[in-house]
Amino acid sequence: MGGACSRKRDPQVNEDSLQRGVSGKYCRIGSSKWLGTSISRPALDILQGRGQCPSLMELCIYKIREDIDKYTTFSMLPRDISQQIFNELVFSQCLTDVSLKAFQDCALQDIYLGEYPGVSDSWMDVISSQGVSLLSVDLSGSEITNSGLIHLKDCTNLQALNLNYCDQISDHGLKHISGLSNLTTLSFRRNNAITAQGMSAFSSLVNLVKLDLERCPGIHGGLIHLKGLTKLESLNINMCHCITDADLKPLSGLTNLKGLEISRSKVTDDGVAYLKGLHKLALLNMEGCPVTAACLESLSDLPSLLSLNLNRSMLSDDGCENFARQENLRVLNLGFNDLTDACLVHLKGLTNLESLNLDSCRICDEGLANLTGLRHLKCLELSDTEVGSNGLRHLSGLANLESINLSFTAVTDSGLRKLSALSSLKSLNLDARQITDAGLAALTSLTGLTHLDLFGARITDSGTSYLRNFKNLQSLEICGGGLTDAGVKNIKDLTCLTVLNLSQNCNLTDKSLELISGLTALVSLSVSNSRITNAGLQHLKQLKNLKSLTLDSCKVTVNDIKKLQSKDLPNLVSFRPE
Amino acid sequence: MRKEDTVKLISAEGFEFVIDKRAAMVSQTIRNMLTSPGSFAEREHGEVTFPEISTTILEKICQYFYWSLQFASGKDTEFPIEPELTLELMMAANYLHT
Repeated sequence: MGGACSRKRDPQVNEDSLQRGVSGKYCRIGSSKWLGTSISRPALDILQGRGQCPSLMELCIYKIREDIDKYTTFSMLPRDISQQIFNELVFSQCLTDVSLKAFQDCALQDIYLGEYPGVSDSWMDVISSQGVSLLSVDLSGSEITNSGLIHLKDCTNLQALNLNYCDQISDHGLKHISGLSNLTTLSFRRNNAITAQGMSAFSSLVNLVKLDLERCPGIHGGLIHLKGLTKLESLNINMCHCITDADLKPLSGLTNLKGLEISRSKVTDDGVAYLKGLHKLALLNMEGCPVTAACLESLSDLPSLLSLNLNRSMLSDDGCENFARQENLRVLNLGFNDLTDACLVHLKGLTNLESLNLDSCRICDEGLANLTGLRHLKCLELSDTEVGSNGLRHLSGLANLESINLSFTAVTDSGLRKLSALSSLKSLNLDARQITDAGLAALTSLTGLTHLDLFGARITDSGTSYLRNFKNLQSLEICGGGLTDAGVKNIKDLTCLTVLNLSQNCNLTDKSLELISGLTALVSLSVSNSRITNAGLQHLKQLKNLKSLTLDSCKVTVNDIKKLQSKDLPNLVSFRPE
Repeated sequence: MRKEDTVKLISAEGFEFVIDKRAAMVSQTIRNMLTSPGSFAEREHGEVTFPEISTTILEKICQYFYWSLQFASGKDTEFPIEPELTLELMMAANYLHT
């Protein structure tokens, strides 16, 4: 089959990163990395039991998984079948170095073993035996060494290679992949050993579209080898502190670049000047770079720029008039800069903005008047600003708003009425001590809410009755200390909830766990600092989707949680106490 | 059962399985054969020959069809698969989109 060259690959690079800018919501729960699917392995849907009937193919694959020791080879099977068996074994973590041998010469196209336990050089022989069929390989987080990479030499059709967090790979290993000129995607996140010298191997990868070197601290001077990679569309060198202005010079001719991420580097306004000619640049992430508003002059002629992240840089109001020329911007992150209302004046005309982050800027109620015309705004981050109730009236006309963060602002109950007509609102953060039950009462019209954060708000049992209006809630945090079991009664019917945090409500008892035992969609549950005991854990048995459980400072022991995990909650990957 | 409600599935060795048409339609491939205008013989005679599927495998597949109907009606039992049949069964399942 000639599928090797024509197969479509995920085109989502840029949207992906854009998305990250929009919903850069951080989570107080320590286990958040498990909540999103950080690595999405392809797998059969496990449908057995209820719902859709498993296909005969699925039944056969499950059967093989059970008896995997009995099979010595799958090479007589058509490729697409052996691929499905392989994927299922990986997904169910049943693949071992022994069972892997059955996949010798199976002409597999995809080997996704990112974060898979036990992967080492001894696996490479079988992996490389897929030969020219092999299109994509993910060995992230493995023990693969430089000599393991020699095996990939013959897999000349390889298009995508992920070797993130492989700390045994260094410059010498890169030599072995320099002949893989069909590579379009290459990723080496968090590699301490790669240096400019080894990066010379990249210069022959002329088809490279996406390169990811995030958290590689030794790559200073190495970007010179990317000069000829004119197909490059996405470069991620976030968190590479070593990157300086001079490093950006070789990028000035990469005119196909659409996404450039250089956060936490040493790049200043002078370095940004090298980006002047990147006419296709849509996404630029300079979070934490020592740039000022003067860098906007270099960006003013980039017609495609849609997403600009200047979070935690050195912006002040000086030079902000240049924002006025960025009329195409959809996403702008100005959080944690020394900006005031004087800057907001220049954002007035950015009517395409969909996401604006002003976290911890010194903006006030009057400044928000400049946002009234930003009708496309979906996401507005005002956390830790000086905004109060008076400012909210400027937002009441922004009918497309889906997400507002008002945590740690001066907004009070009386101001929340101004939000009550924002019917598109899905996510609302009111984590502020002065918010009480009365504020919640003003919001009952927001029935589309899926995320509500009342972490520090002083919500009591009587306030929880208003929660009944938010039937679509997927995440809810109420940690102000005012809840008792009686309040949890009003939460028990919010069956869409996947994240529930009721910590710090020290009067909650096992009764609360009993009440929420029907919230079977829950993925994360936290009831720390409460009167929960071991006896209450039995009520969690039905929460089969639970991945994270936090019960710090409760009368609960590690062993009892472990018992619950092994008997009833197989998906639980993170719990406290631990 | 009326003749028009059944179909005849014929294995490589020529063994004939007469089964409920509804059961056979569990397979997308057979459904297409029995309904598409291109396959005249199959439609007219309600007969499909599988020159590459052995009798043992075809029997197992027929059992699956009925099991699948039972499953749909809420009867959730285990479908037994003999290990020695698995690989051949998969290839047939692949062909039959089952």
